Amino acid sequence: MPGEDIVRVEGLNAGYGRFHILFDIDLDVSRGEIFVIVGPNGSGKSTLLKTLFGLTKVYSGRILFEGHDITRMPPHARAKMGLAYLPQVGNVFSELSVAENLKMAGYTLDSSVLDEKIREVLEIFPFLKDKLNAKAKTLSGGQRQLLAMAMALIREPKIFMFDEPTAGLAPKAAQEVVDRILWLRRELGKTVILVEQNAKLALEIGDRAILLVSGRIAFKGKASELLSDKELGKRYLGLKG
Amino acid sequence: MAIIPSLPYTLESIAYASALGLLSMGLSLTFATTRVANFAHADFAMVGSVVMLFLIDRFYYLHHGWGVFLTGSIVGGIFGGITGLLTYLIVLKPLADKGTSSLGLMIATFGIDIILMNLLTLILDTAHGVHIPKLIGASVSSYEPILSLRGYRVFGYTIVLPIAAVLLTVIFHLFLTRTKFGIAMRATIENPDLASVLGVNVNLVYMVSWFFSGFLAGVAGALMAFAFKGVDPAVSALIIVSVFAGSIVGGLESVYWGLIGGFLVGLVEKLGMTIINSIYRQYFVLHLGAPNVSLLNYEKLLSLGLVVIVLLYAPQGLAGVDWGRLARRLGLKKPVEGGG
Amino acid sequence: MEWWIFSDAFLITLFSFITVSISLNLEAGYTGIPNFGKHLFVFVGAFAAQGVGVRIAALIYEKLQPQAAQEALAQLRSMVPGATWSSLVHAAADVDANRIVVNNYLRPFFVSHVAAEALLLVTLLLVTVGLALFFGLIASYAALRLREEYLAILLLSFAELMVLVVFYQSQSLNGGNQGLWAITFTKDPVRFALVGSGVLAVIAYFYADRLANSPMGRAMRAVRDDEVAAEVFGRDIASIRLKVILISSVLAGLAGFFFIQNAALSTSLTFNRVIWTFLPWAMIILGGMANNLGAVVGTVVFLLAKRLFEYYQVQIAHLFHLGSASIAATLLPNIFIGVVMILTLYFLPQGILPEGPSRTVNFEEILAETSSEAGEAGGEESK
Repeated sequence: MPGEDIVRVEGLNAGYGRFHILFDIDLDVSRGEIFVIVGPNGSGKSTLLKTLFGLTKVYSGRILFEGHDITRMPPHARAKMGLAYLPQVGNVFSELSVAENLKMAGYTLDSSVLDEKIREVLEIFPFLKDKLNAKAKTLSGGQRQLLAMAMALIREPKIFMFDEPTAGLAPKAAQEVVDRILWLRRELGKTVILVEQNAKLALEIGDRAILLVSGRIAFKGKASELLSDKELGKRYLGLKG
Repeated sequence: MAIIPSLPYTLESIAYASALGLLSMGLSLTFATTRVANFAHADFAMVGSVVMLFLIDRFYYLHHGWGVFLTGSIVGGIFGGITGLLTYLIVLKPLADKGTSSLGLMIATFGIDIILMNLLTLILDTAHGVHIPKLIGASVSSYEPILSLRGYRVFGYTIVLPIAAVLLTVIFHLFLTRTKFGIAMRATIENPDLASVLGVNVNLVYMVSWFFSGFLAGVAGALMAFAFKGVDPAVSALIIVSVFAGSIVGGLESVYWGLIGGFLVGLVEKLGMTIINSIYRQYFVLHLGAPNVSLLNYEKLLSLGLVVIVLLYAPQGLAGVDWGRLARRLGLKKPVEGGG
Repeated sequence: MEWWIFSDAFLITLFSFITVSISLNLEAGYTGIPNFGKHLFVFVGAFAAQGVGVRIAALIYEKLQPQAAQEALAQLRSMVPGATWSSLVHAAADVDANRIVVNNYLRPFFVSHVAAEALLLVTLLLVTVGLALFFGLIASYAALRLREEYLAILLLSFAELMVLVVFYQSQSLNGGNQGLWAITFTKDPVRFALVGSGVLAVIAYFYADRLANSPMGRAMRAVRDDEVAAEVFGRDIASIRLKVILISSVLAGLAGFFFIQNAALSTSLTFNRVIWTFLPWAMIILGGMANNLGAVVGTVVFLLAKRLFEYYQVQIAHLFHLGSASIAATLLPNIFIGVVMILTLYFLPQGILPEGPSRTVNFEEILAETSSEAGEAGGEESK
């Protein structure tokens, strides 16, 4: 049912310049679900996410967002339409203070609206209140992910695309980030696309999932099915049998 | 002969260092935003110098008053800023949009350097109806107020330049930290992709940075016109060496450190060489029979030496030095507990 | 020779610039070394014929003709009180004394003693090569360690300080702001300069052409295009850069040596960044980077244009209502060159003659083949 799909990808081939990385990708993401993309190192997971945000070269195929073709749209136009992309690194301005980062997130908003929004996200992420004047580079990795999430929230996107948000985080910090992702969907009804190296963690919270192997989809279906598929799990995801 | 330089000379050195600070700050600014090493930066300053010369010449009522500094700085700064903006809009942006490499952009600024230098000489050479008979090499120093301080004659510009440098730095700092656009500018310097995704007009940021860079250079050049024995656009060849030295010592990518680097290079060139020269003359020439030459002419070699030392031992410049660690190592600061 | 705009001086300039452009092209076009201090490397050859040349020639003269040397000294003492032979030899006295020593004593002696002259010529050519290698080593020390921008800035700064400060301020090195008379060779120094610079240009062209199409040329391009890949494929980047800088420095120095044969009296300012660094850059960009024939074409085009400005300076000055003809001869061509160079970068980024395929196996092809497999697996990280 097309009306249910917030993102739809058809016959996508993409890569960087001469390096063709993604082959014939078809997928659809439903509104309000957590959609997980897993796969071994170098399978093209992050490239797929970047392609959805317009940061790679598309050779053929199309990307629809709420029924609109966004295949050739520049990233900032996609951001305006309601896509939020949170890259693994460089998702906050580390030389700017937390307050300045939040201001930058609402750069296009009126200052009265922006102030209100900042108040709102500070209620959601209270720990940021004490750090408003600290430079973002002084935050821990987990805190930085949460700041990036707060910045995205200010712009009220319809869909959050996380690129390995728990990579390099201590288990406790990773759990906090995961809790926040679940909260986004539960409390705000947002759609989430999650690219994760930690397949078990991601598949446990995901609704549906795809498995990418060498730039092609090797599995598409319920996250729980993939989690329990011993063959695929052992071969590509390092899950214990 | 005392080793410590005289008061007027010290003031002149500080003024020169302030001008270099402004120039290096502007150079670092455009490098930080657009990643272009601008070989025409000293010519932006010469635009300011030539403007000051014309102002004095055409509006001679400005003579002998402090107003000449204010008018000249503002008009010279605006002309410098427009030169910078046009450099970006007419030459660099079209080239960058076509995918020209950073080497190509450097070469282009080298071309602008040649064009501006010759154009300014041409303007001075062919200016009609000027009151100063021949503008090239014309001295403007007799058109400024001269103070008497503790029995010394002190040139007005030596007072004004440091004040201008401090004032402009404070204004620039407030702009960068207190205004939305200033914050966007710093954000763009760090991560232009993220900034543009958030809705920042990155191109506008670049335009403003080139204007501001040219403005700072224009102000420095307008006030330095009084320091030159004569305004000669070819002087830019020597100025650019010191400006680059200042920016590299600062770290090339940090605006504030660029200011400090330029100031430092200026002081080392002037005061450092005076002290070295005095020592040389008092001990080496008098007692050891070394050749009786003035080392003052070689002051620029100190800035090159400084650059070489920085590039060898701190390639990121002063901006890249871990000052906290350095202080702890020198025992100036207590070690901090491992930060989480 | 004198026909329309073609004078001996023009041809000597043309030949010298062809050599300099070709040598800059080896560095910048083929190997990607942004040498913004080329003028220093050309000046080195002039210094060999001037500051060093006068000293060596005077030493030989004093050894072989002690009598005449004493006479010369006596005559010059009337002009420069208290002059000693060594002060004249070190060229520190004054430029008139220097002219008399060079033109009235040294030149006539060497011109009439072929063996001594040959010995002197070989010595000074060796000095040129030695100085070029010395400065080339300094430049390569930086070139092996610095990023592109830093290297360009440092080379320009270094060259400017040498030419504008050290050699210009120091009276004893090369006559300072007075300048020095160069040691010139044969009865007809102009013809000597013409033949010397011409032969050098031809040698430089064929040498560069052979180099560019050898495995070394392929390695140079690999270094320029992708240092990491070059290293992966076992190229010794440091030694390639070093070799190229040394070869180019020697070529530029020799060009300066023959060029100064015709200029005779000059200061280090003759070798300024506009004429001897920026102009060669404009030439190779117009002609086509990494194309030796392109370097020659660019050189010819720009020098013809510059010469036309000079030749018709009176008419041009009249046309544009310029105060003096010398403006038309100096300032306008420089502006013209700058504008053409920027327009070339925009409209003709590959130059008139784009870089052709190497006549040996193409490195890029090997790279593309081997990395296409790696691209699939590792492309994600390659961003």
